[in-house]
Amino acid sequence: MNRVYILGGAQTDFERNWTKEGKGMVALLKEAMSDGLADAGISFDDIKALNVENRIACFVGNFIAEKYVDQGHLGAFLTEIDQAFYGVPSARYEAACASSSVAIDAAVTKIRSAEYDVCIIIGWELMKTVDSKTGGDYLGRAAYYTKEGKGIDLPFPQLFGKLADETLRKYPQLDEKRYMDSLARISVINYSNAKKNPLAQTRHWFMNFDQACMRGTNTNPFIGGRLAVSDASQVTDGAAVVVMCSEKYAKERGMQCKPILKGYGHRVAPILFNKKIEESAQNPYLLPWTRQTILDAYHRSGLTVENIDVFETHDCFTSSEYMAISAFGLTEPGKEYEAIESGMIEFGGSKPINPSGGLIGCGHPVGATGARMLLDLYKQVSSQAGFYQVKNVKNAMMLNLGGSATTNYAYIIGIE
Amino acid sequence: MLNINTVTVIGATGAMGANIAGIFASFGNAKVFCVSRDIDKAKKTIPQIIKSVRADAIVNNLIPADFSMLEECVKQSDLVFESSIEDLDIKREIAIVVGKNLPLHSISGTGSSGLSITTLAECYPEEVRKQFFGIHLFNPPYTLPLCELIPTIYSDPTIQKDLNNYLTEILRRKVVEVKDSPAFLGNRIGFQFINEALQYAEKYQDYGGIDYIDALLGTFTGRTMAPLITSDFVGLDVHKAIVDNLYKGTNDYAHDTFLLPDYANELIHEGRLGKKSNGGLYQLVKYGNGFKRQTVYDIKTGLYRDVIPYAFPFVNRMNAFLSEGEYQKCFEELVGNRSMEAELCLSFLLKYIVYSLYVANEVGDDISAADDVMATGFNWCPPLAMYHALSTVTNVSALIEERLPELSGLGFVDELLASIKKSKYDYRMYFKSGRISG
Repeated sequence: MNRVYILGGAQTDFERNWTKEGKGMVALLKEAMSDGLADAGISFDDIKALNVENRIACFVGNFIAEKYVDQGHLGAFLTEIDQAFYGVPSARYEAACASSSVAIDAAVTKIRSAEYDVCIIIGWELMKTVDSKTGGDYLGRAAYYTKEGKGIDLPFPQLFGKLADETLRKYPQLDEKRYMDSLARISVINYSNAKKNPLAQTRHWFMNFDQACMRGTNTNPFIGGRLAVSDASQVTDGAAVVVMCSEKYAKERGMQCKPILKGYGHRVAPILFNKKIEESAQNPYLLPWTRQTILDAYHRSGLTVENIDVFETHDCFTSSEYMAISAFGLTEPGKEYEAIESGMIEFGGSKPINPSGGLIGCGHPVGATGARMLLDLYKQVSSQAGFYQVKNVKNAMMLNLGGSATTNYAYIIGIE
Repeated sequence: MLNINTVTVIGATGAMGANIAGIFASFGNAKVFCVSRDIDKAKKTIPQIIKSVRADAIVNNLIPADFSMLEECVKQSDLVFESSIEDLDIKREIAIVVGKNLPLHSISGTGSSGLSITTLAECYPEEVRKQFFGIHLFNPPYTLPLCELIPTIYSDPTIQKDLNNYLTEILRRKVVEVKDSPAFLGNRIGFQFINEALQYAEKYQDYGGIDYIDALLGTFTGRTMAPLITSDFVGLDVHKAIVDNLYKGTNDYAHDTFLLPDYANELIHEGRLGKKSNGGLYQLVKYGNGFKRQTVYDIKTGLYRDVIPYAFPFVNRMNAFLSEGEYQKCFEELVGNRSMEAELCLSFLLKYIVYSLYVANEVGDDISAADDVMATGFNWCPPLAMYHALSTVTNVSALIEERLPELSGLGFVDELLASIKKSKYDYRMYFKSGRISG
């Protein structure tokens, strides 16, 4: 199979509220695409030339623009960016908050099979078009809506609050305070890392351990069971672009030392949260398909957790990052708190998680998140992460979840 | 790094004082004595301080106090921040108490934006003047990170460096060191623009005046709020204090643009200060049934009337381009449209670029200081980014020569423009269409 190189990309400033700026989907796509292409060293003329020979394609990740901006047929909207996209194969891919990861998967497959030489992934979501209650209801469609979402206020915080409950139930030796403090620390680490990221949504916000522990106060109200606002990711507008290419194209352009995709994992767990828990009753892992996704990525890349220098994970809530720690293999299941208390996953730790700030700190425009994570792995591996650069990164791994850890995607990027 | 564990904020019940107490208590994790004339008022301000930084966690850091406790508070403090009203006599009184009790290692700062920092330093005993600085934040500091740091001739450079580090790294401010000059840098640039807009409203009163000018300089020109709405929001009294100070204390080519027009003086005289007194340049009329109506002061008639929904073709087209992210086409429209309104709008933006760079050289370290203050203190497209934005469609230097010959005639514009460097700021996010489009 052909190798897949990452050429570059860009994300928008996740602090921006595009509705307040009076700008819509097309404006977002134009800015993200022009920045992403510039970073990757690809011009509109390059796209035109590649398209004459049918060597380029685009992959759009988006969850639910039909609700947020009343628009479907999203693959076709790249033609509004520039005439260079006329005739370029392009389609939208969807798997809730893992939408971009499916788009990445499709792009990778096309390069591996030598169908296309250059693939552009653009993930995006505009979420600030509606109030948070309405938006929360839209997001309920990432679960089994009629059973888990409809008529429920903020269904996803409820589901990840249940994940917290189930974590405590499954591991009875895990002290509740120790667990809740660990979740608070996860939040603080993400906020703190986001301060280093000039494109993070929360880079000017205040958070500390005391505040993250003061759940149930006016400034940190409960939003789902035992989880509070500080445990949750943000409502974010944004887009992320990643450009990939084949070895053939990289050679044509004389591009050297570009990171490559080393492995992936993709597993889908039962959509209903309760069925996930029923299924895993006898398994040491609460979310065994998440763990399996990681194992698949390790297996395909020939790497182990020892070889991974930095992680980007799907901290839509602190309870999901907590579970990811054992899924990555950083601790045994049920002992995730060890990696938090020891400082292992902090910015300066031996296995940093989310130096970007993650979904809690950097932001979570749902359809863009997978592409944003991949972009951050690319930045880390190619030493372009600026203030949030982790030292000596050779391999980096991401975990992107859709729904209540229903769609699981993992990718490993590394130096050739 | 400075070890600031205890802070005294004098005047902590004022809007700025309260917000700054919140910044020290949260990002700084300092114990903050919130000093006011009236301790009950200080107590009542605590929830407001918590809200300003969205953090209940700081509640134990906030200690209400009154002036009788000031000596004791200062003795315990690593930093004393004075945020009292802009009255030299009152500030002198405070300086005496602070000066007598300030520990040797501690820093004393003032949030004053209208008085000379050097004059204030001289209110302190000689031995503590080296520890005294102007620390000028912008409202609200939680969302506007700008902090102008103003040393005086007495300031100790080592303390200054440490304080700059503390403000940057711990309080997470965008620190810009500026000279002790009237209104410093941000307000000088910002209020030059706003006051000239206020003057133009008078000049163009037959066209509608206030709302007419705001319609020409709206969000599509690289800001969150039109300039006269901003003045109404800040308050005409504050606006007047700033421009009077600038008129009195500066003497550059833009001197006359700091003259407050007569109608604004009359409004202030009548107590019509703006949003805070419900009536100023604008007035929001509320009806019993919940219906609200935005009205504006008509300079010609002296009465409030409904805001006119101006529909200038160039504005409509700029907005339409912005909503689809067509920045170049938007700027082409601005530069290419020769209607009187478009020319007026463009001349304001060009004057803004030139004046910003001119003053930055005088008050700041270099021209990028102007960018930092306007982006992080006003949320306006900063001048270098504005220059870059217009450069995507035209030769800005030639445009200035063509549109503003009187400015070009002054002889320094070419040199200023030659010193321009790339902005750190992305102009795109500042130009807003002011309407939602799918």
